[in-house]
Amino acid sequence: MLSAFLSAFRTPDLRKKLLFTLGMIVIYRLGATLPSPGVSYGNVQQCIKLVQNGSNGVFSLLNLFSGGALLQLSVFALGIMPYITASIILQLLTVVIPRLEQLRKEGQAGQAKITQYTRYLTLGLAILQASAFVALARSGQLFNNQCDQFPAIPQTKIPMWLTVSVIVITMTAGTGVIMWLGEMVTDKGIGNGMSVLIFTSIAARLPSEGWSIKTSRGWPVFALIIAIGLIVITAVVFMEQAQRRVPVQYAKRMVGRRMYGGTSTYIPLKVNQAGVIPVIFASSLLYLPQLALQLMDANHPNALYTFIDRHLIKQNDWVNITVYFLLILFFTYFYVSITFNPTEVADNMKKYGGFVPGIRPGKPTSEYLDFILSRITAPGALYLAIIAVLPNLFMGLVGNNKQNFPFGGTAVLIIVGVGLETVKQIESQLMQRNYEGFLR
Amino acid sequence: MGIRAGFDRLRERPGTVVDTAALARPLSAIEAREASVADLDDAGLAAAAASVPADDLVEICALGREAARRGLGQRPYDVQLVGALAMLAGHVAQMATGEGKTLAAAIAAFGYVRRGSPVHVLTVNDYLARRDAEWMAPVYRALGITVGWVTEQSTVDERRDAYRRDVTYVSVSEVGFDYLRDGLCLTVDDRVQRPLATVIVDEADSILIDEARVPLVVAGGVEGADDLARRAAAIVRRLRGGSDFERLDDGRAVHLTEAGLRATEAALGGINLYAVEHLPQLTAVNLALHARELLHRDVDYIVRDGAVELVDEFRGRVALRRRWPDGLQAAVEAKEGLTLSAQGEVLATITVQALIGLYPTRCGMSATAAGVGDALREFYRVEVAVIEPNRPCVRVDEPDRVYLTTEDKHDALLAEIRQAHEAGRPVLVGTLDVEESERLAADLRAGGVPCTVLNAKNDAAEAAIIAEAGSLGTVTVSTQMAGRGTDIRLGGGDQAGHDQVAALGGLYIIGTGRHDSGRVDAQLRGRAGRQGDPGRSVFFVSLDDSLVLTHAGNLVDRVRQRAEFDDDGRVPGRKARRLIAHAQRVAEGSNAELHRNTWRYGYLIERQRRALARRREELLTTDAPARLLAERSGGRYESACERVGAPVVDGAARAIALFHLDRCWAEHLAYLSEIREGVHLRVLGRLDPLDEFHRCAVPAFRTLFADAEQRTLDTFDTVDLSGDGWSLADAGLVRPSATWTYLVTDDPFGSELSRFFKAVLGPAPRES
Repeated sequence: MLSAFLSAFRTPDLRKKLLFTLGMIVIYRLGATLPSPGVSYGNVQQCIKLVQNGSNGVFSLLNLFSGGALLQLSVFALGIMPYITASIILQLLTVVIPRLEQLRKEGQAGQAKITQYTRYLTLGLAILQASAFVALARSGQLFNNQCDQFPAIPQTKIPMWLTVSVIVITMTAGTGVIMWLGEMVTDKGIGNGMSVLIFTSIAARLPSEGWSIKTSRGWPVFALIIAIGLIVITAVVFMEQAQRRVPVQYAKRMVGRRMYGGTSTYIPLKVNQAGVIPVIFASSLLYLPQLALQLMDANHPNALYTFIDRHLIKQNDWVNITVYFLLILFFTYFYVSITFNPTEVADNMKKYGGFVPGIRPGKPTSEYLDFILSRITAPGALYLAIIAVLPNLFMGLVGNNKQNFPFGGTAVLIIVGVGLETVKQIESQLMQRNYEGFLR
Repeated sequence: MGIRAGFDRLRERPGTVVDTAALARPLSAIEAREASVADLDDAGLAAAAASVPADDLVEICALGREAARRGLGQRPYDVQLVGALAMLAGHVAQMATGEGKTLAAAIAAFGYVRRGSPVHVLTVNDYLARRDAEWMAPVYRALGITVGWVTEQSTVDERRDAYRRDVTYVSVSEVGFDYLRDGLCLTVDDRVQRPLATVIVDEADSILIDEARVPLVVAGGVEGADDLARRAAAIVRRLRGGSDFERLDDGRAVHLTEAGLRATEAALGGINLYAVEHLPQLTAVNLALHARELLHRDVDYIVRDGAVELVDEFRGRVALRRRWPDGLQAAVEAKEGLTLSAQGEVLATITVQALIGLYPTRCGMSATAAGVGDALREFYRVEVAVIEPNRPCVRVDEPDRVYLTTEDKHDALLAEIRQAHEAGRPVLVGTLDVEESERLAADLRAGGVPCTVLNAKNDAAEAAIIAEAGSLGTVTVSTQMAGRGTDIRLGGGDQAGHDQVAALGGLYIIGTGRHDSGRVDAQLRGRAGRQGDPGRSVFFVSLDDSLVLTHAGNLVDRVRQRAEFDDDGRVPGRKARRLIAHAQRVAEGSNAELHRNTWRYGYLIERQRRALARRREELLTTDAPARLLAERSGGRYESACERVGAPVVDGAARAIALFHLDRCWAEHLAYLSEIREGVHLRVLGRLDPLDEFHRCAVPAFRTLFADAEQRTLDTFDTVDLSGDGWSLADAGLVRPSATWTYLVTDDPFGSELSRFFKAVLGPAPRES
């Protein structure tokens, strides 16, 4: 991988693309640490330290995606999330609203319009989210009311409504800039802009979190964590690339066909066909009991309350871990069955004259694909679940918040996924310039 | 130009064009030079033309104008000079029909020749290449530069001679085939072209965009499975639609049902078609089915003189030497019961786009370039300059008349044509295909309206028919042939009845349906209203038109149910017209997407092709083959030289090395097309198909030169050079004796990536 970057740097136009991407990342990180006007930098830092060891629920995932910028209430506090949400919403709407469906079909010009709508929606969402977070910060809930003595947005001579509006506008504008950065990376840099920025956010937290383990637990634990981390990353790299190749032949050309035994045309079925989505679904679902707790009466706890409080929301409790594990297994199968419809794939192959050698098109083919898929998803689901619960198992080592464990779960899955994707793109571009491939 | 437009141009926003005010700036200076240039005698003009500095645009235009006056007896309008200046600046000039693009191009060609560069003017067909070259010859003669033309009938010597002229008029397919054949020559002297330098593309949007993805192919004959194709055609002929096979709604694919499959297998002797060893049979059946159901006689092709001739979908005329790829041609021939032509193995191929990319300098002209300005910028880095017409166009373009059914439309068409005809007004009816043109003409004649038909079947009479199309009371029913490049003058070829026809309102253009591209519609409309003449145009469309059904099939029922319509079935509302426009945009979008995909995949192949060409040049022109053998044949080279002399051995070495290099390349091309047809399946594993294509194609090419060298050595080891007059055949190596060249039309199966994305991954959110 390192040699990939080295040889890429020797190719002038690739070097330009890489440097451009790096430049965009630098701007992104700069904005992520730049506090919004009206926010007390000192107070916020105090608060982050205070809540470091406490779980603050759903914000921790959002904070992870924004690279820690959210809790700092920085200019880029909202991160790339509004843009991602907006794209997902528009994809959904495209299915529902005929006019969008029409636009999508009109090719590039229509797509450009949809992209434009996505941008507007992103800004809309950004205003909503920024207002919500500013409100939460003002009331102290952003830090679980644990640091009300250090108000994040202190009173000044400037009227509060003005300060708050400025912060909301700043964050919204910041989101616009992030969106632009992401598009620029996709356009002129390397890799998918959104993915690269998420990668940056997550990777940016690794050093400080690693270091905080060192300061709180000393060198031996730190070394152990690093060693485990390396093993996990190696395993993830390995598993993410594992695939079963189902050979396919196309019967539509009479001449010029060389017999290659069907090696060049195949359907790659990945062991981890579902990607990171099941983990995110499962952890979001596990947040629900915590919400339920807030609705219940804490002063007169009943049996359910006690159970949730003692087992279900405690991330190092065996109940929580088991439920998390099972949810991931379920969601993996669920997600794979949604995204990979063997009938549709079989129909599409039939349509263009393709078939799996020895297997008849239509139903027999879809049954065959289904069979292979469900068998290969079993180890895939187990692998996802194990990687995801790893941080829970090691929580004793690193404190109470599993997101503080730098080498597990969502973080490592995303980092490795984006990393592989980007390296593959670099490699493909290198290959076009006739350099040696480096990822076998 | 407003500030907004200027800002947009600065940002290269879509739809922006070149600032023509800047281009027109030299005009007054050119006019000032006019008198003094006119005083020169003919020799003086040629001498002045020979000595004018390449960057003196004023003098070049002034001399060009004077040469046109002397050679053609007409003084070029200012707008024609602006067009020439736009082309000299490397733009595509958009000039309306009848504005004199050909002359503008000739002046631009003169300018480029003064820059020391030979110029190719690319036309869309052989007829235009020859006509334009001969038409402009006096202008070039006055300027003292030489001009030549190439057509399909030109001999090798004629071609070589034509390409050595300063300016060469040639159709895009001929220049491509000559380039490919030069790339397969065994000696330097066999080549006909000089290095490509400057190209001026006529009908630029058609060649650069519509045809860009069409590959030009040189093929060598191989044994075809004739028998299989005939058997498959016979079997498929007996199948019944619906129960035995199904067509997809979009009309681009057809496949056997379970029942049809069983019947076919029984007819083939009870085999399992999906067993690996029966791949040839399955392929033959698939092709036969495709030929039967998706390719229609008199729409997609015509049968003439016992041969299948393809009809160009954009121009409606017979596409010379165009073939369907990969055995589909044979399947169609078998369907029609004709003699099967030989199947070809691809020896070399290049797309039109890659070919144009080989010219360091490119520019062009068209009447409808602005619509594809973005694509031209994306793929060729050229801008469009919109040149105002000499006289403003006063043609009336009516909005579409939409009808509920094809029958309603047909009746309305007949009535409209009759009415115009009775008023004496010339009518040009543009139909979508050959079949429709003949049906409509028959109905018109039955109704007492005499009319002339112009379609791919009688293209020989084209010039005569067009000359009369503008006369009083003429009704001409045509395919898209009467679109691009035809100049219809009011009152006939001699314009005798011009004023009378103009008083009636000029030429009336009636389209019987919108085309897949708005530019083709615009070309048809553009036949009327040349040089400020009056004219009128309207399109009749129905909700049953194949454009609508294919590209907006899911919406049409709703519009149909809610539509309010008149007694004659006309739907006056805006909704229906919007639906038609939407369908056309979808068609244009999917064409653009296809183009973009071809370009993305072709990029790497083109790089490899250039690397191969460099290597071949080395083998052809240097002693590289001899050096290879001297170094690696273990002394056999030296001993052979002693026996028969170095020149014989070197010649043999070169021939063997070139043979094997060409062979390896042909095999590589076959391998690439095989990867290409299935690489879209990789998206199922979240892999990028384009990246995956590169991962297969690059390593395969990396070993190609070494493989060719090894095979050269192996052959040299077994070859006997002692006889006189050694040839490749003595070594058991046979170059295809009959190579022929053709264009491949679109991939008929339409394996389109985006379609697959939508089918397979569409409903679920894609992972970011």
